[in-house]
Amino acid sequence: MPQLSRTLPAEDRLVLLPKNPGVFFVLWRFCASRSEAFGTSALGPEVELRLFCTDDKTQSSSRRAAWGAGGAYLDVPVQGKTYAAALYALRSGEWEKILESNSAAAPCAAGAAEERAYASLEFHKRGLL
Amino acid sequence: MFVLHAHLPYVNHPADSSFLEENWFFEAVAETYVPIISSLERLAAEGIRPGIAISISPTLGAMLENEELEEKMAVYLQSRLELIEKELVRAKDNPPLLKTVKLYQKLYQDADALMHKYSGDLITPLKALQHSGQIEIITTSATHAVLPLLARPEALRAQLAVAAEDYFDRFNRKSSGFWLPECGYEPRLNSYLKLSGFAYTFTESHAVEFACAEAPGGVYSPYRTANGVGLFARDAASSREVWSAKFGYPGDPAYREFYRDLGYDGDYEDIRPYLGSDGTRRPLGLKYYRITGSGTDLAAKEYYDPDLAMARVEAHASDFLARRMAQTDEFYSARGARPLIVSCYDAELFGHWWFEGPAFLETVIRKIRQERLPLQFVTPSEYLNSCQEPREITPGISSWGENGYFDPWVNDSNDFIYNAVYAATDKMIETANRFRNQDLPSLSLRALNQAARETLLSQSSDWAFLLYIGSHAQYAKGRLEDHAAAAIKLLGEVIEKKVDEAELAELEQRNNLFPRLDFRVFASVSKF
Repeated sequence: MPQLSRTLPAEDRLVLLPKNPGVFFVLWRFCASRSEAFGTSALGPEVELRLFCTDDKTQSSSRRAAWGAGGAYLDVPVQGKTYAAALYALRSGEWEKILESNSAAAPCAAGAAEERAYASLEFHKRGLL
Repeated sequence: MFVLHAHLPYVNHPADSSFLEENWFFEAVAETYVPIISSLERLAAEGIRPGIAISISPTLGAMLENEELEEKMAVYLQSRLELIEKELVRAKDNPPLLKTVKLYQKLYQDADALMHKYSGDLITPLKALQHSGQIEIITTSATHAVLPLLARPEALRAQLAVAAEDYFDRFNRKSSGFWLPECGYEPRLNSYLKLSGFAYTFTESHAVEFACAEAPGGVYSPYRTANGVGLFARDAASSREVWSAKFGYPGDPAYREFYRDLGYDGDYEDIRPYLGSDGTRRPLGLKYYRITGSGTDLAAKEYYDPDLAMARVEAHASDFLARRMAQTDEFYSARGARPLIVSCYDAELFGHWWFEGPAFLETVIRKIRQERLPLQFVTPSEYLNSCQEPREITPGISSWGENGYFDPWVNDSNDFIYNAVYAATDKMIETANRFRNQDLPSLSLRALNQAARETLLSQSSDWAFLLYIGSHAQYAKGRLEDHAAAAIKLLGEVIEKKVDEAELAELEQRNNLFPRLDFRVFASVSKF
């Protein structure tokens, strides 16, 4: 999997992006002290990503990932709703919220969208770029 | 309504005389922008008003006005004409080949002549066409960012506000419309479109057609958002006829084959001077063969015949118009009203990929007048000014990208870039907030403004897309990382009061778009 070649500043970040009606992409980074906490086992090796519906603040889904993964794809609970992600880490056996994301709306699936979409690989400046 | 979206990523390497990626620009100028401008000027001179809309991205606009690129463009054209002179000698005993070589000679001579006529600045004729009411020119986001993927509202606002200002500086008027890069729409954009003064925008068809029940006219009517921004939805049928190689006109056997190129066919020693510094075989734009047949092996392609191709252009233009009339009649029978058909394409489709595209466009426009067809090309502003108040709708989140949403820009091949994009964007916003009300020394101000340019450039959709299709992937990754790193470094230097003026000057020279950019456009509560 491709990676960045340069080191970015160590800082806390959790960003939620729409991908399609069924999937969000969430990316995260930690500040140096938090990375150290994960590295020294003060925090557990996994993080839990939870999606909350921003309309009613209810938690809709969760999934776990290695703390250093930096990104994950999450299933959209309900199309057309707006969600925010929260990242939890395990400290002394308890899940503790350490980051919150922006909110992002999940698209609604539209019939025949795939057929109608224009910029398929067939074209889209394929010769130019 | 015919809308061409012209965009290239900002590529400017002033220190290098033969940077491969700058050829994207040279090829697009010679094969697309010059032929389209020439067609529009010809039509206008004959009293036939084209009435099309063209979106010109701020990055492309900056390249079209860049004097160093203009000089390199002149060198590129002379180099092609020199190669063509040699090809004329080689083809002298081969009449079918000679005919096509002469066609290319005329193409490059015409490009050279038009560039000379306007002193290398192709914005001038476009501006003149707009001033005389022949066409309408609109803008798109500052660096062609896919806007729904910008999580921070400050970044959204900056992309739109910078684009609005850039357009005003370039065309001496406000842009009425805004092309959403990749037709990427989400409802958050409504307020920023309004705030930046845009009267209308365009969406993909399924944003309107399926996503909301209150759009009875489907894609054949304009709509408006709750805050009054006009919306036009792309008509899928007319678009597909033109862009699809499989189902559309460009796949006709008589049309020029894109993939067979002298750069691969020619004797290596003959073409070596035209290949670039690394000597790797690459397309040179001289393509002598026609598609010949679906699935025909490249080696078995037959020579291109310009006359045969032009006959097909005539036939396809007639077919295109007949289909639009049938669409119109069908809609009128069902609804008792005339439909608005919005056909949107990437401009670079015409000429660069579909070689005969500019001739097709010109023929379509000419035929409407000559054959007195019950069709009319209308610009978006004209239509909105003349139609009844459009119905309010809430379009669905969508794009015209593969699968209809954001898959091409968010997937396993490119998702890693967003850490860099957001590192730069977050730092830019945080620093803009910190310094927005301070009187700054000129060096710090320059550094902050350049950091804003670099941040905007890191947000370009092109880097993710190139990584996705695996074309120039290393270049795309390098550019993305360079812009993000430059922004972060400059912002850090301003905070530490240690701006490296020499490095700053180099960045200012290379990435010199948006000359009036004020870093405060990224502040959380901005004056913009």
